[in-house]
Formats: sequence, C-alpha cells, structure tokens
Amino acid sequence: MIRALIVDDAAFMRLAIKNMLQNNGFEVIGEAANGLEGLEKYKQLQPDIVTMDITMPEMTGLEALPEIMKFDPKAKVVMVSAMGQESMVRQAVALGAKSFIIKPFKEDVVVRTLNQVNALK
Amino acid sequence: MAGNYSNESMLDLYIFETSNLLEQLEHSILASEKSNHISKDDVNEIFRIMHTIKGSSAMMLFDNIASLAHSIEDLFYFIRENAPREVDCSALSDIVLEGVDFLKVELEKVKAKDPVDGDAQRLKETIADFLNQLKSQNPLAEKVPASRKETKAKSAEKPKDIPEKIEEIIEKIPEEKSKYYIAPNITKTPAEKSWYKAVIFYQDGCEMENIRAYTVIHNLKEIADKYIFTPEDIIENDLSAQVIKEQGFTVVLRTDKSYEEMHAFFMQTIFIRELKLEQIEDQEDEPVMNQHENNLTPQIPVLQTAEREEKAEKEGQLSSSSSAQQSIISVNVVKLDRLMDLVGEMVIAEAMVTQNPDLKGLQLDNFYKAARQLGKITGELQDMVMAIRMVPLSTTFHKMHRIVRDMSKKLNKEVRLEIIGEETEVDKNIIEHISDPLMHLIRNAIDHGIEAAAERVAAEKPKAGTITLEAKNAGSDVLIIVRDDGKGLNKEKILSKARQNGLLTKSEQEMSDREIFNLTFLPGFSTKENITEFSGRGVGMDVVSKNIQTVGGSVSVDSTEGAGTIITIKIPLTLAIIGGMNIKVGNSRYTIPTISIRESFRPKESDIIRDPDGNEMIMVRGECYPVIRLHTLYKVNTEVTEFSQGIFIMVEDEEKSCCLFADELLGEQQVVVKALPYYIQNFKKDNELGGCTLLGDGNISLILDIQSITRLVKK
Amino acid sequence: MAEMIAEDFLEEDTQKNKFLTFSLGNEIYGIEIKYVTEIIGIQPVTEVPELPNYVRGIVNLRGKIIPVIDVRLRFKKPFMEYSDRTCVIVIDIEEISIGLIVDSVCEVLVIPEDEIVPPPSVNGGASNKYIKGIGKVDNSIKLILDCDKLLKEEELSNLTSTLSEGVIS
Repeated sequence: MIRALIVDDAAFMRLAIKNMLQNNGFEVIGEAANGLEGLEKYKQLQPDIVTMDITMPEMTGLEALPEIMKFDPKAKVVMVSAMGQESMVRQAVALGAKSFIIKPFKEDVVVRTLNQVNALK
Repeated sequence: MAGNYSNESMLDLYIFETSNLLEQLEHSILASEKSNHISKDDVNEIFRIMHTIKGSSAMMLFDNIASLAHSIEDLFYFIRENAPREVDCSALSDIVLEGVDFLKVELEKVKAKDPVDGDAQRLKETIADFLNQLKSQNPLAEKVPASRKETKAKSAEKPKDIPEKIEEIIEKIPEEKSKYYIAPNITKTPAEKSWYKAVIFYQDGCEMENIRAYTVIHNLKEIADKYIFTPEDIIENDLSAQVIKEQGFTVVLRTDKSYEEMHAFFMQTIFIRELKLEQIEDQEDEPVMNQHENNLTPQIPVLQTAEREEKAEKEGQLSSSSSAQQSIISVNVVKLDRLMDLVGEMVIAEAMVTQNPDLKGLQLDNFYKAARQLGKITGELQDMVMAIRMVPLSTTFHKMHRIVRDMSKKLNKEVRLEIIGEETEVDKNIIEHISDPLMHLIRNAIDHGIEAAAERVAAEKPKAGTITLEAKNAGSDVLIIVRDDGKGLNKEKILSKARQNGLLTKSEQEMSDREIFNLTFLPGFSTKENITEFSGRGVGMDVVSKNIQTVGGSVSVDSTEGAGTIITIKIPLTLAIIGGMNIKVGNSRYTIPTISIRESFRPKESDIIRDPDGNEMIMVRGECYPVIRLHTLYKVNTEVTEFSQGIFIMVEDEEKSCCLFADELLGEQQVVVKALPYYIQNFKKDNELGGCTLLGDGNISLILDIQSITRLVKK
Repeated sequence: MAEMIAEDFLEEDTQKNKFLTFSLGNEIYGIEIKYVTEIIGIQPVTEVPELPNYVRGIVNLRGKIIPVIDVRLRFKKPFMEYSDRTCVIVIDIEEISIGLIVDSVCEVLVIPEDEIVPPPSVNGGASNKYIKGIGKVDNSIKLILDCDKLLKEEELSNLTSTLSEGVIS
C-alpha cells in the first residue's frame, strides 16, 4: 500500500482527502496542520507521497516544500491548491512538487494523480 | 463524488470547523477595528480563514457560501499583496462582519438540514465596490507577482534576435528578453544531439494545463539544452490553458537522449492523453516557433527572519487552535445526556446496594470496605461525566463583544464590556439557553441603561459606559451577573406602567424595591420606550425570565437610580448529585440537602415555646429557633402531630436557622436532583422546593429548598 | 386494548385524522394521536403542595418526572375515585409531557376533516375553550380536545362548565 502524509490546516480537508485515499487503497500514515509540522512528520515517517496545501499558518506549503526537498530530493510532493492560485502552483513545481490537485476535488483525479506521481521514477 | 462528502462525520466536521473559524474571524476583526489598524498577521489570518471556508464549502457543494468567502478572500488577497496605506478599518469591519453574519445564517441552515439558499449578491457587490475603491486609491505597485503583469503588449512585439552566446540564465530576474533557454550543464558535443518535436494533449478536465505544461518544461531542463515551446505564455497567461486544451502543447527541443528515452520522459507527464513525438531536422538559428519570454524561475518569497520571529511571538491563536482541534472530538449531546442519566441511575443503584435493608445489623467488614471503594469510584465517575458536559462560558461571553460593538456603533454611545469569571463552567444544555437572554440583557443595558456621552459627562460619570458580565459559582448554582453603570431603573415609571397595564396585585406602598423591579418581568409589561429596534418587539424581560426558567434558573433585578442596574441570573447546575436526608411526612417523602442540616433530635414538649400569635419555637442550647411543621406547610395528612412522636431537623441557610418537624428520618443517601416539570414550576414561582428525586423504591421525594423555607420565617 | 392502540399510533405517516378517544362520564373526547406518546394505568401520584386541585402531582415514568392532571377536575366535573380502569394518557406538546387522568380509554378512530364542525357557542357566547371541534362518527359525537389550550395555565379562571351541559353522546 502506498503510504501517504496529508498536510493541510483545515481538519475538514484532511478528512476529505483521507477518506478519498483510504477508499482507494492508500494508507494514510500521518497528518499535519501546517508546513512545519509537515516537514517534521515527513522526516519522522518518510511517506511514499505527500499532499500539501499551499495556504497554511506557521509555514506555508511553498516554504515547507524546499525544506522537504532538501531533506529528501526524491520526495514526491503533490500540491493542493485552489483555483486561481496558478502562480503559486508554478512556484511549487519549480521548487520540486511533482504535480498538483485542485479544490474542489474530484476523487478520480486525486487518486490518479497520486498513483501516477507515486509511479514516477 | 459529491455524495461521499455529505456523510455525517464530514458534515459535522465541516460545521464544527467552519463555526470555529467564523468565531476566530469575528474576534480578529473586532480587535482590529478597536485599534483602528489591521495588522499584516490579521490580514493573513482573515485571508486564510476565508480561503479555507471557500475550499470546504465548495467541497460540500455549498456554492453560495463558497462564493461569498471567495469574494472576501479576494479582497484580503489584494490587501495582503498591496498593503494599501489607506484602509477604512471601520468600513472593512462592517463588510467582514456582514459576511460573517451571512455565513453564520447559512451554517445554521446546514445544521438544520434546510436548503442553503442565501443570496449574498448585494454584499458581494459592496465588496467589489470597496475593492475597486481600494484599487483606485492605491494604484498597483511593484508587489504584483510577475504572472499578473499585463502581457498583451509583449505578445505583440516582434521576435528579437537570438544571442549567439550560450548563457546561464537560471537566476536572472524575468525581463523582456527573448532567448532559448539553455541548460547549465551541457557536456556533450552538439553532434550527438538530436532535435525532437513533441505535441502533448492532456486529458479532459485535468485543469491548469498551462501549469502542467510548465512542469514538463521544468523537468525538461535536465535533459534538453535547447528548447522552445508554444503556447509561450504558459506562466503569465492562464488562458493559455485553453490553447493547450485545443491545440496541445508543443515543444521543440534538442537533447542527447534517444527517441525511446524522450518518449518515456514525456509519457511520464501526469494526465497525458496523447503524445506525438518525432525526431526532426536540426534546427539552428531559425526556430519554427516565435520567440518567447522566459520566466521559468519566478521569485520565491523568502520569509525574513524578523517576520518569522514576529510570527512566533504572536499569540499562536490559530496554530494552537488548529492543534486543539485535533485533540477534540465532537460528541452528540444526546449520547452525553444518556451517559448522565446512566450515571445518575448508577449512583442510586449503588446506594440501594450499600444501604440495603437486608444488610441491616450484619457485621460485614470486608463488604463495607469494598463498598467504600465502589463508592469512591462511582464518585469519580460522576465527577468526570459532569465535567465532560461542563463548558466554560467564555465563548458565550465573547459573543457579547460583537453585540456591544454593533449597538454602541448604531446608537452612538461609547460602551466597554468587561468580562469576569469567563472560565466558570456550566452544563452544555444551559449554554444554549443562556445566550439569547444574555444578548437581550446586554442590548437592553446599552439601549436603555447607558446614557449618551454628554449626559454621562454632565453626571460626572466616565464618558464611556461600562457593562460588566460576571460569572461565578455559588454553592450548587452558577450566578451570571450583568451590571451596568447607566442611569438605573426609575421606580415611578415602572409602577405607573404596571398600574396602566393592570399588573399590580399589591398596594404600591407595600412593595419592596425588589418587588417593584421584578414587575418588569411580567408579561405585558414593556414600557413603550422599551420597544426599540433592538430590545423591544416581543423580546421583553418576561421572555428572558422564561428562558432562564426553562433551565430551572431564576432572574432578579436590582437598581440604583443614576448609578446603574444589576441583573442576576441564578442557574442550578443540572443533574446535581447532592447528599440528602430523606424524611417522611405522612405518605409523602421529602429530601433535605445534607449540607443544610445542622442536627436532628427528638424534642421534648417542655422545650417548646409558643408566642402570642401561636408561632412555635424551641430553645436549643440557649438559642431560640422557629419551628416549621412540614405537615402543616404542605398540608399533608399524618398521624404524627405530637412533637414527641416525630423528629426535629435543624436546618440553616447562611444566617437563618429553623427547625423542621417531620414524622421520621428515612436515611441519608446521594440523590440525583431532577428539576420539577416546567408545567408545575409555572404554577408556583416561589416554591420552597428545589426539585425532586427518585427514591430507590420508585417513589418521588420532593427536595426542600432550605433558603426559601428559612425565608418563610418572620424575624 | 392498550396494545392495539399502541400499534395504531406508532405509524407516523398515517397519523393524520386519527384520534385517541377516552371517556369522562357520559362524554367521549378525542385527542389527536400525534400528541399521545403512551397510555399507562393509574399509579401512585406524588402530591406537590399548593397546586390547583386538578393538578394531582407528579409521577415517575421510568425515571422521567411527569405532572398529571385530572381531566374531570379540569373540566369542573365531580371527582371520581380512581380504579383499575382509570388510565393516564401521556401527551407530549412542544417538549412538555403531561399525563391526563381519564375514566377509561376507548379506541383509536379516524375522523375525516369534513366530519368535524366547530364547537357551539354556549353560555351567552363564551365558547368552550378546550374543545377544538365536534367530530361525528356514526351516530355519536366525539369532542375533540384542544391540547394546547388544555395545558395553558392562564385559562384557570375562564373555565367553563358548558361541557357537562346539553351535549349528546
């Protein structure tokens, strides 16, 4: 099973993504409510794949992402963004995010993205 | 897919989280308004809250909620990015608070499972206007990220010359130069490279195709030393996504990789639908596509250390609450009620076991030791369960800030709200019933109590009125006190209004101040001036009183003209479990709270004294105590009318004491206090009963309220 | 009898126009079934002092404390000693539960709306406050109770005794 870490400041979002992932064969091994926590949990749990929200307190997704990439250049991070955040998603990609998913989610898109990212070498 | 999101736990979490966020938001904006300055952190926080609400509401398909949140989010995005100097804090607060109100109403609909159909069109227009005004007052400056720059002018430009020299441009700030992007680490000789043309089509509905295209380019720089692509404006123009949808994304590149390797590379693209890859003729100085602008490494905001520290120092409200959210589970109140009932029943059952008549007289040391242990655990369990249901009043009290702010603004009065004892806890049930009455009392205080600034100054009072909201424990009750330093109640006005409405049952001279003030609680009382937009219209003091009574509490008023008014709400803690002494009078059973009992004894006729009016008293150790015959008081038939055949129980409340005469004592036990049915309470407002309890044999015992009993005694 | 009635009124959807009927002396009254939560036999009542005479006190219904009123006394009829047949109809209105002590419970009847006429005004125009309507079933009359009014205490002084006069059953 693919081990996933979910990073998002909204408990609701975390639950939504968790449900989606668990329904589709992923194992959610951890959750974090901000970038800093996300970074710590990444180091601790070493997930196969990470979903990371951009807008978060403490440390945003764009701040946490390079730290994670520094720790693990092979990290597979999928940014979670809302419509209208194209420039930030671009930045994320430039910083190393493998792909992105957009709110409001379509379950099949999310699952396919994560599966495909996981399959990347 | 949407169906998945409407299951109960998602909905509950949505409601819980959104409510919390709205509260935080309200708190922030009110604080900002007060200081007439909105800090960067506050702007960020509000932006984030609206962003989150937008996201989750869209997931739950509450589009009107998401749409309004989006409007406010955009507004704060602008403020965040442009830090306009002139922001009308007051108007901004009004907008945000109006938005909060709308969202709260919609959230109530969600809770009640009603259609969530509010129309925020007008508010959105107001927001749009406000934003436009901000924009015109604060012309866009350099802070705008490159992608939002106008690109129309550039795309009309003619292609520039390609520089011959290969240069590293990876760190260069985006400018209007056109060039090939050259990869930094080229080691192979040009002869081993080939040119390819790839056209990528993405799957339908994968969205942000231009960013996906950017991803391709980003990954491409590792393996291609020269490339160009079309559409070119994938970064700065989101509409390029449409072009990609229709025409595909085309890249022409030079690399030393083989066809298979390039094919594999492109096929890794997420959501790729179709790839057309061909090796093409060497391209040198004449690219098949137009020149383009490169902005492949946009600036990434680096957080300054100073800002970081500032953030860390700031009261980590959001972060602590988000982690607090993780350690809280929401429990259905019905389950808690059931749990409480069960614990109550267990207390009684435990008493029935340990005090079983079958055990009378038996020497059972081990049994009693075990029973004591059981009692200890039961006690702890009961404390814990009560604690679970207990909720601090702080949230309710803090809601009042908003009321004070709105009212003082509308009425042009300066009022400050002081909160004391907000950590005092009450049962969850009570919180729900307290909120509305409190709001009404506060509105009343501001509307009718606090005078206009000029008047106050003339009366040598501080310009700003103060309303104090205090909560404290008093025995098994909780007292909530609303105090204002306004103009107080005018007894004459009250009496004349009562007279007018035919509400006087006693002659005016006989009425104590308290009784006069309590007239305001009678239905049909409202003086005409009271019916203002805020406090009148059927929400009179009588409704406040009724609401409080629903939870078994009571309200009283005291006032000093010119100085202010104090309204005291007394609420018994629900499901109090108290120690009680059960007694028998005829066929009736009563329970006296153990803490009120001083002693009990069998009197001698010779100790009884009767005064000229026939009132009975007894001397005990040199002190004289009035005697109350319970069978007379409650009109119960009993054969025990001779004092020597019954029992005296000396009870006290604060300073007053008296002796109650009953048939016999039945025994002490822990009793679960149940309120008398509301229907019954209505008949007798001032009864001497503090509720009732169920005895082990199924009978009901009425609990005596010692305070009112001692009041019966004339001094 | 009670079981049959219990089955009847547990079906939510079919509650419209269904009435539980009970007798007081010679008259038969009906209550909309939607208000009735259960019917129990008379049980020991704990008196609460200083209440109107028709409020007999409170009873313990499986842990819930419920006030009971004697409908005879409420309608100013002569008091009748309680027997085995005496029943308590527990009704629930807006979260207030009350037990109504009645002579005996009859049956559940369906009385269509067009068979219900407004109550007559008697006693010089004072309409009977507790009767919502008169229902005709076969050749007999059922007096449809207005539960809301029954429970409101401010009606104390306006009780009429018109019920016991001139009503055919």
